[in-house]
This record gives sequence, structure tokens and C-alpha cells, in this order.
Amino acid sequence: MALRSVSRRIGSRILNHRSFVASLHSHATSFGFQEIKEEDKSKLVGNVFTNVASSYDIMNDVMSGGLHRLWKERLVGKLSPFPGMKHLDVAGGTGDVAFRIYDAIYSVKRRALQKVDEASLEETQIYVCDINSNMLNVGKQRAAERGLRDNKSLVWVEGDAEALSFDDNSMDGYTIAFGIRNVTHIEKALAEAYRVLKRGGRFLCLELSHVEIPVFKNLYDLYSFQVIPNLGELIAGDRESYQYLVESVRRFPPQERFAAMIADAGFEKVEYENLVGGVVAIHSAIKL
Amino acid sequence: MYRTAAKHLLGGGGAFTSTRLLRFPKLRSTIIPSSYTSGLCTSSMGGNTESPMGNQSVNPNQSDHTAASSSSSSTSTGEGPRRNESRKPRAEFQEEQARVLSASLRHVPRLGWTEEAMMAGSRDVGVSPSIVGSFSRKEAALVEFFMDESLQLLMDRIDSGLDLQNLIPSARIAKLIRIRLEMQIPYMSKWPQALSIQAHPLNVATSFKQRAMLVDEIWHAVGDGASDLDWYVKRTILGGVYSTTEIYMLTDDSLEHRDTWAFLDDRVKDAFDLKKSIQEAKYFAEDIGAGVGKSVQGLMNGVMQTMSRRSGGSAF
Repeated sequence: MALRSVSRRIGSRILNHRSFVASLHSHATSFGFQEIKEEDKSKLVGNVFTNVASSYDIMNDVMSGGLHRLWKERLVGKLSPFPGMKHLDVAGGTGDVAFRIYDAIYSVKRRALQKVDEASLEETQIYVCDINSNMLNVGKQRAAERGLRDNKSLVWVEGDAEALSFDDNSMDGYTIAFGIRNVTHIEKALAEAYRVLKRGGRFLCLELSHVEIPVFKNLYDLYSFQVIPNLGELIAGDRESYQYLVESVRRFPPQERFAAMIADAGFEKVEYENLVGGVVAIHSAIKL
Repeated sequence: MYRTAAKHLLGGGGAFTSTRLLRFPKLRSTIIPSSYTSGLCTSSMGGNTESPMGNQSVNPNQSDHTAASSSSSSTSTGEGPRRNESRKPRAEFQEEQARVLSASLRHVPRLGWTEEAMMAGSRDVGVSPSIVGSFSRKEAALVEFFMDESLQLLMDRIDSGLDLQNLIPSARIAKLIRIRLEMQIPYMSKWPQALSIQAHPLNVATSFKQRAMLVDEIWHAVGDGASDLDWYVKRTILGGVYSTTEIYMLTDDSLEHRDTWAFLDDRVKDAFDLKKSIQEAKYFAEDIGAGVGKSVQGLMNGVMQTMSRRSGGSAF
């Protein structure tokens, strides 16, 4: 695991790149390896997630060999949730990250070890925002299974990452786990994240990213393109969605480029940490 | 050594630990279109001229921050202030961190050296408590900040004409250690916690370095050269005096810590009892295999002389 700090040093290179990307976005965008019109992307993504919603969690387990749990633990560990926090988890439909944050705040061990102000505990709000209502329903169901159906701290909201319905400067934390590659305009999502965060608020993004290590890269490519779509067919009965998934990972900007985009949105102290050699990366930043 | 180098090269306090690393941003040569270079120059010059002034005052951060924001607003065009400089954004975070930690110190006597204190401090500054999650080694960041601040205060006091000329070296050392330890009095109830944080394996390297700098600073101010002991031995002895006094102070509840100062004076006297301490130092140095610049023969001669003096002379 390598932790690297990104400093924005390459002015002209990014300028050129940005204008290229801007022109790409004005007419077309990518859906996996296909080029499609922008308006169609969100519809197509919507279809993907409507189809996979019910088997999303099982597929995550199978594809990552259970590792996705560790990655999410690491994400929440980095966030260091505290009682009384207002947190927004975007594209977090089935609630994995949200439940972990809830547990971290309400854990009995924490309350015993540290002086926790019970009143501030009541103020905790964890918003789970997802564009797809099927995913949200799965999440609400899982909440009910945990006995959190009527819990005031967990709020399930249907919304678009590019146009959030929350007020400016209202959130202490913003996480997006395995969701940002699905938005049509990443810059807009980042700008929205910047808008809703309070001063000092943290942005954390967990996303599949690029592997550079020579031999491992080939193994990973093999696994992605040969094994995963077949697994998707076998377990979820949906090859196309998982083909989209692995293709969208390849189209997503690499770690440094994405970190530059985050810095462009106005964030400070942009850093990223590679997990499993770059298969997954956690980007973190602060709004100041 | 650290201090003279830093002072002469950088014309100010110098960069001590990682939290202060970016006080003096160096201009990097980058390939930047000409439209940006003017913005780059003015904003970074603005950064350079503020910092030396900022270091002199006790609370440099606020003046730095306001000056930085005013220079950034003057150079910003439609692109926004953060496009041009890579140094400024990170320096802003460092300043923000310093402000939060500084505000947290007020809560330490009540809440200890903990995340709660830092979250309370962040609320005081007007920043979301989430920022605490981004500090590396959280509680250690607070303790290290305090150590740095105290060292800076000590140096300021020395610079502002503390009268050391009329004192003998041992009294000078005692006075300086006393000044430094008095800074810890407000936090005395929670100082054991700070010590345990500093002793944690992850934090030992930094705390050791900070203490080494402190000891070095004190020797520098004393104007070392009173004896011919080795550099390492001198620092070690003073480090020992400082640490033992610090720990003694933890359990001292005499009026105005009178007992601690008496203890300190005794230890310094021991250290300065030249005959005894040179001998102890030589034995110590021999034990650790480091020579004191004299041959073993010379050493044995010295020992022989002292032994004969001892047997023949009066009590020591």
C-alpha cells in the first residue's frame, strides 16, 4: 500500500488535457468501451443497476474474494467518524459504507472508552444517496434486517450525484464508494461534493483503479475480461452489466489524473492510497 | 547546531518538523505558460515575505493566513486562486492544522491529549471536526505541536534578551530548563498521557528528535564550551537532567513546584561537578565504546591519579 501526496505541478499539461476532455464531454461519453451520447449514459447505467441490484452484494463478494469488505473498512477507518457528524454517502445504495459508519459511531466499545456526549450522538445523520431506487430499496431492507428501519440517523435519499439536493456547507463527510466511475460528468460530481461539504469536511472516494505493476497487470486484465463477465452470467444472469463494469474501470482516469481533477474542484491535501497494487484506490481530500 | 544553521540559511525560525515544512516554499522550475508566471511570482513572493514575520510572534498562523488570502485574491483571475501554485494550497492546510491544534491546547487540561480535545479545538476555529481525521497519528500531532510551540517560545525568550551573562553555566542551564518546564504546568494533570503518547513506537522517532533539538538549543544558549566533554555526552547528560526533572515534576505538589526546582538544581550541580562528572562520562563513554579523544593509556593515568588523590585526600 503506497500513500502518495499529489501536488499540482504540471500546469500546462493538465490544461491541454482538460480541454481535450472537455471537448469529449460535450458530444460523447463512454459507456464501458462504447462511445455513446451523454444523455443516454445515465439511462444505460440506470438499467445496469436496476438489473444487478438484488445480487449486487453477492457479486461483490465473489468478484473481489470478500476483499471489498476490507476496502470499505479501510475507507471508514480513514474517515474517522465521530458522533454528531453529518455524513453523506453517495451512490451507496445498498448501504455497505453507511452501515459501517453507523457502527463505528455507535459502537459500544467506543462509547465506553471515550467520553461520548450522548446528546451529540443523537444529532448524527448519515444520508445515503443513490440515483437508483432499486438499490435504495435493497439498502432499506438490509437496514430493517439490522433493526434500523426506523432509526432517525439513517436517511435514504434518492438523488443524482451531479445535482445533490443538500444545502451548501452542510456535510462533515462525503464518501463515494465504487460509484464515481458511473457518473456522466465526474467534474460535476466533484463540484457538488465540494459544495455540500463544510469547511474542514473530508471527501473520500473508493474506486477501482489502474494497476501498473507489470505481471500483476496482465493477471488482473485476464481476470477482469475473462472471469468476471462469466461469473456475472453464472450468478446474476447478466453478462452485459458486468462487461460494462470491467470496461468502465478501464475508462476511468488513473490515480494521478483523478487526483488532479479533485484538486481542480477546489479541494486541498489531495492524497491517494493504492490497495492491492492499484486494483483499488482511496482518494482523500479536504475542503478548506 | 540546528538552530544556527536554520537561522543563517533561512533567516527566521527555520523548518523543524513536518508540520512546519512548508513555511518556506521554494520556487520550482516548471513549464508553465507565461500568463501564469506573473501570478505565480507574486503569490509565492507574498508567501515568502510573510513567513519570517509570522515566525516571531507567538501566534503566527492568523497573520499568515490573512496575508496569504489577501495575496491570493489579488492574483486570482477567472481561473481561481488554486490553479497556479502547488505550494499555497498545502501551506494553507498546514496553517489550518496549526490553528486547530493551537485552539485544541486549551481543551487539553479538561479532555486530555485526545481526539475530543482536537475536535473541540476545530469547533472553536470554525472548521468541521472531520479535519481531525486527516491528521497523521492524531494525538501525537497535538503533542508534537505543543513540543514545537514550547521550543519556539523558549527560543523567543532567549532571543528577547534573557539575562544569562551574570550567571555561571550551571545556573544558566537550570534557568533555561525551568523556563521550559514551566510551560508544561497548565497541562501537568495530563502530562503523563502526553509522555505515553511520545513513547509509543510510532511516535518515538519524532519525539526523540524534538527532545534532541530542545537539548541542543539549551546548550547553544548556555554557550557551551565550559568543559571538554564530548558533544554526545553533553547532550545525553542534559537530556537525562531534563527528563528526570520532568518526571519528578509529575508528582510534585509543593507550592509553586519548589521541590522540583530544588531537585533540578541538585541534578545540574551533579552534572557540573567537574571531577565527578568527567569521570562518570569517561566510564560511560568507555562502556559504549566511544572514545573521548584520549587513549586508553591516558584514561588509565587519569584514573590512577584520581584514585590516589581520593585515597589521600579529603571526602568528596
